Amino acid sequence: MSEATENFDEHLRSLLEVMAQDGVHRAAEGFSGMMGKKVTVSQPRARLMPFTELPYALGGPESEAVGIYLQMQGQMSGQVMLALPYTKALELVDLLMEAPTGTTQQLGSLERSALAEVGNITTSFFLNAIAASSGLDVRPSPPAVIVDMIGAIVDIIVATSGGVREKILLIEAEFVCEGRSVEANFWMIPDPATLEVFSRQRLNDGR
Amino acid sequence: MGVENSSLAVGLGEIKISRLPTDILVAYGLGSCVGVGMYDPIAHVAGLLHAVLPEHLNHGENSAKYVDTGIMELVAGLEKNGAIRSRLTVRIAGGAHMLNAPGFKQALNIGERNTAAALATLAALNFRLAAQDCGGNLGRTVRLYVATGRMTVRAMGNPERDL
Repeated sequence: MSEATENFDEHLRSLLEVMAQDGVHRAAEGFSGMMGKKVTVSQPRARLMPFTELPYALGGPESEAVGIYLQMQGQMSGQVMLALPYTKALELVDLLMEAPTGTTQQLGSLERSALAEVGNITTSFFLNAIAASSGLDVRPSPPAVIVDMIGAIVDIIVATSGGVREKILLIEAEFVCEGRSVEANFWMIPDPATLEVFSRQRLNDGR
Repeated sequence: MGVENSSLAVGLGEIKISRLPTDILVAYGLGSCVGVGMYDPIAHVAGLLHAVLPEHLNHGENSAKYVDTGIMELVAGLEKNGAIRSRLTVRIAGGAHMLNAPGFKQALNIGERNTAAALATLAALNFRLAAQDCGGNLGRTVRLYVATGRMTVRAMGNPERDL
């Protein structure tokens, strides 16, 4: 385990929290643009959570969920996951398709590609906000949509970052559009090298 | 109603061992992770490992996180609880390829590497595998019933089935 990971401390958490909250608001803006309707986001809550507890954040490891996964590349690297409970993902598709809630019953390729687009737009705006506040260049990979048990979705993050003890930044947000709301989680997992850059930045800021 | 069964969750990088007939050891939502179940039908002791990564490289870290050291720790723990190595029924499940999308390197197929590590470690310890359900693209929940040694696998949207 690198020192940078150990340094994922309270100061860093608050720095990331500010960046991420701004990011979630920008994500809502991106979502609005895509929908052509006003989308707002409730006050997002950010917390640091050990990987091992992550499967319990969205209703337990066996609950069905949808994950929209991207990797960040560039001066800033790491992983981002937009995770939704399965039923909420169906409601989100209804919202996108302008259909009454309950219309979408399953996720075929059309529905998955609509969700991938949501992930693409929201995470791009999210990452742009973080890039702007950190001054670091970042490019998102194409999104992958995974429909599975939450535990299996968490495995992607855990296996890619190679950790079980490490913590991730969990941002819980609720997007609201025309009286309908969709709760979503953003998981942000910067690579150790990126965390190190963030820590240095904090020192330079004199905080 | 008889005595209620109780499910004992085996989390990421954990091993659970039980001799209580009412216990069910459960690894929920295994994706690329591998679940290794072992059962001694005479001593009635069962153990389940939920390993995350194939090989143990960093000493001093939790060994159950890794397939290779996790299997050794599982065997040692079962023996401590009265199991005899030659009587153990060994089954594995999991190791799915969760990130099967364009744009992601196949090298990230940790599931396949986890399965390979499990097979290699078990072979090195001279275990014969009774059953396996590995690979694919879907997560699985694995249950090991201490009373009977029954091991089951369930994927999302599918019924529980015996392994």
